[in-house]
Amino acid sequence: MGSDIPLSWFLLFAAATFAIGIIGVITRKNPIAVLMAIEIMLSAANVNLVAFWRYGPERLDSGPIAGIVLAIMVITVAAAEVAVGIGLVILCYRRWQAADVDRYDSMAG
Amino acid sequence: MARILFLVIAGVGLTSALSTVLSRNLVRAAVSLAGFFFTVACLFILLEAEFLAALQVLIYVGAVSILLMFGIMLTRGVQGTDLVSGPSAARLPGIVVGLVVFAVLGYAIFEEKGLRTQYSWGALDERTAIARGSKEPGSPLRSAVNNMGKVVGVELMTRYVIAFELAGLLLTAALVGAVAVAHREEDETRSTGSGVPPEKPEPTADKPNP
Amino acid sequence: MPTVGPSTLDFRDFFFVAPEMLLAVWGLVVLLLDLWLARRLDPAARRLWVGRVALAGTGLAFAVALAVGLVPLMARAYPEDAGSWLSKSTLDYLFDTDPSLFSGTLAGDLQVGAFDLLYIVLLGLIVGLSRAWSFTEEWGEFLALLFWATVGMMLLSAAEELITLFVALETMTICLYLATALEKTRRRSAEAGLKYFIYGSVSSALFLFGLSYVYGLTGTTHLSAIRRLLVEAQQSGLTANAAGATAVLLILAGFGFKIAAVPFHQWAPDAYEGAPAPAAAWIATGSKIASLIAFMKVFANALEPWASPDSNVLRPGWIGIVAVVAAVTMTYGNLAALRQRNFKRMLAYSSIAHGGYLLVGVIAVGLAADVSRAAGAVLFYLVVYAFANLGAFAAAAWLARDKESDQIDDLNGLGRKQPLLAICITLLMLSLIGIPPLGGFFGKLYVFMEALDERTASRGSISLVWLVGLALLNSVVSAFYYVRVLRAMFLREPAGKPMAAADRLIALPILLSTAVVVGAGLTPDLLMGVMQAAAAPMLTTPIVVHKLTAPTPVGPPAPKKPTPAFQYSADQMKKMGQMATGGAGPPGGGGPAPKAKAGTKSATPKSKAQAPASKKAENRP
Repeated sequence: MGSDIPLSWFLLFAAATFAIGIIGVITRKNPIAVLMAIEIMLSAANVNLVAFWRYGPERLDSGPIAGIVLAIMVITVAAAEVAVGIGLVILCYRRWQAADVDRYDSMAG
Repeated sequence: MARILFLVIAGVGLTSALSTVLSRNLVRAAVSLAGFFFTVACLFILLEAEFLAALQVLIYVGAVSILLMFGIMLTRGVQGTDLVSGPSAARLPGIVVGLVVFAVLGYAIFEEKGLRTQYSWGALDERTAIARGSKEPGSPLRSAVNNMGKVVGVELMTRYVIAFELAGLLLTAALVGAVAVAHREEDETRSTGSGVPPEKPEPTADKPNP
Repeated sequence: MPTVGPSTLDFRDFFFVAPEMLLAVWGLVVLLLDLWLARRLDPAARRLWVGRVALAGTGLAFAVALAVGLVPLMARAYPEDAGSWLSKSTLDYLFDTDPSLFSGTLAGDLQVGAFDLLYIVLLGLIVGLSRAWSFTEEWGEFLALLFWATVGMMLLSAAEELITLFVALETMTICLYLATALEKTRRRSAEAGLKYFIYGSVSSALFLFGLSYVYGLTGTTHLSAIRRLLVEAQQSGLTANAAGATAVLLILAGFGFKIAAVPFHQWAPDAYEGAPAPAAAWIATGSKIASLIAFMKVFANALEPWASPDSNVLRPGWIGIVAVVAAVTMTYGNLAALRQRNFKRMLAYSSIAHGGYLLVGVIAVGLAADVSRAAGAVLFYLVVYAFANLGAFAAAAWLARDKESDQIDDLNGLGRKQPLLAICITLLMLSLIGIPPLGGFFGKLYVFMEALDERTASRGSISLVWLVGLALLNSVVSAFYYVRVLRAMFLREPAGKPMAAADRLIALPILLSTAVVVGAGLTPDLLMGVMQAAAAPMLTTPIVVHKLTAPTPVGPPAPKKPTPAFQYSADQMKKMGQMATGGAGPPGGGGPAPKAKAGTKSATPKSKAQAPASKKAENRP
């Protein structure tokens, strides 16, 4: 087992994808692109959770698979968020004929 | 061997994530996103969570990506070019923020001293052993790894039953709400005959910028 | 097949979530009724009917919540009588010492019961408010989403475990995103929904990443177990703990968004202004209460060892960060509110400012020697704030109904037309400023006194005087924009379309809120007593550890018991009672305290660390 993957590799991968998601959230103006970046961030958290579950010490305060259960919930929530997000984007698109968060400015911020 | 596999998968994953975020073509971004989800599923397999990998492929690659693709098609035409995101120069601040976030997180990962254990995140090179001898009744973790589907079912129906039920409610709410939000009100006015104009003019009160 | 830990489901636990289940189902009932009526009635009649059924649902939920709260109390007060109408196992269950439900994922104590009732009352008023005028075509969906958001809120403030907490938080906010966007005749509603959604989703992604680090650090998701581990690790503050600091920052971002703290506040003004008034009212009151309770539970309970109270502000620890956030939040909220002409937008900024004051209270909870008193002060503030805001949003709904606008100037001359309601609104505004005889004054007084408490100050050399001084200054500033409303109502001539008389749907929330605010001001001790009793178990709920740990790795799996949940045998109970009277017993009363009884559970947080261990040792056969 000497050649097992270190935990930190998974964590670094998750951190990198999380940072990429943040880049997307900041730079993109199209709400669907922002939604995709959010999905990347959620997936990054999931990688963390599963890696911690597998590498962490065997603690059973929250059951043997707390990390996995949370990851399943995240997948569910992400699916719901995408459905809601697409619905809202389509609604706004009908109103403005544009998919651009900066154009939605009927209220002064 | 596993390390090489990981590096390959992680490389593909990071590339596709970057391409999702930076690509000007939204359809290409969505396809890259599906690829990214798939690499995450591969990582789950490396982490011995095959059940979760299957879920990931079914839900993310199968449903979420397709839904996003529909969203793009419905709002941008089939070409899917994102005309509104700024030029590359305007992205620089965002990219800098991302790099800072990554640096902080990387520092945090290697700085972690091990809260109450002997090892820290940075020094944990091997996963928790589960094969401790065949005679033992077996650790819960071992049965979780070997029998993930069953354990997930048991946990969702016992310990996390409220979270599970609530997730069902959440999906119902999202479904109902998304349909209510996205369906056209023209149909609504026709069916109810209320004759509400679809667009009421906004009150044109001037609102000062705070 | 080896067993997987003693994770079992006790169906009797569902008794305590009956109000939530009822509301969830009733949401569906309302939805289906609306579908059925859609082609049978004209929109106005349909709105009234659907609203009526929804109101009936909240009434029913209120009754059920009351029963859930009272049955254990009754059973305890009259155990002999209770034996005749409750079965033996139910009675045993109600006398169980363990106040947690579902293997410790939910709390089932007085705090939950009291706040369930509060949410249901507020929901009933908001549903009534939605009936008052026609702002959307999707009645069934709108009301169902309000109901389901309420379910999320109730479970969020009951959650004792991060997975349940996360899902409840998401349920609440996703329902509110959708309710915000449902006023489909106006563009700004859609815009508000999308902005709220995008900010909210980003913040929940940050929150989740923080949770994943907490899980990685502690290996558990139960709040009390996290706290125990952190105490055992003897880490005070976040010094040399970059991972913990990152986790705290990310989780703070998530909660900061939900309570609209600067710099995560940008969504709030747009969402409040764009959302239909009932949805905005629910965002401003219910969502804020639930998020703040969860925030206190996570920070002042689970992550309390990271509070770092024993050094100056600059020493890393969440108190320093939250103090800065609180200072910026209240100042920004008040200064920005000064410039608003739109009533709902002004309420949004004022709500941001109140979030800042509440964060001062959370800091006090993190530092306090007497946690239940400090948390009680925050809860008191929350209740008074919620009612005052609800009344204000009812006024906004009135404006939206009669003027189709919500500028402050539209209130001009209301004092002459509707003196009673204008006076009520005046009282609500004065309470939000914090003028002495009203509830808002006592809320601020309690919170700030807790922050200045000498014992609090002596526990850490951290000085909150500057923060409280800033808060007082801010309260003075806030008077200017609240008074603008009063000036419009009483000093200006009515202009434009006159406002019709408020029907009882609008008048009732205003009158009831005024009654609560005045009542809380006249007898603050009463409400404060209830809130302290509610706060006591909230931050100190001892999760009984033997339910959660697996059997020791070696040894045969435990034989199946007839009743799945753990139950004390008679002599164990006796032993624990002796321990408790001897003073060395586990906190949480130790003895056979019933569920929903708060006083016996007010354990001191200091001894909590050792408690589970002692219990564990004691109960091991």
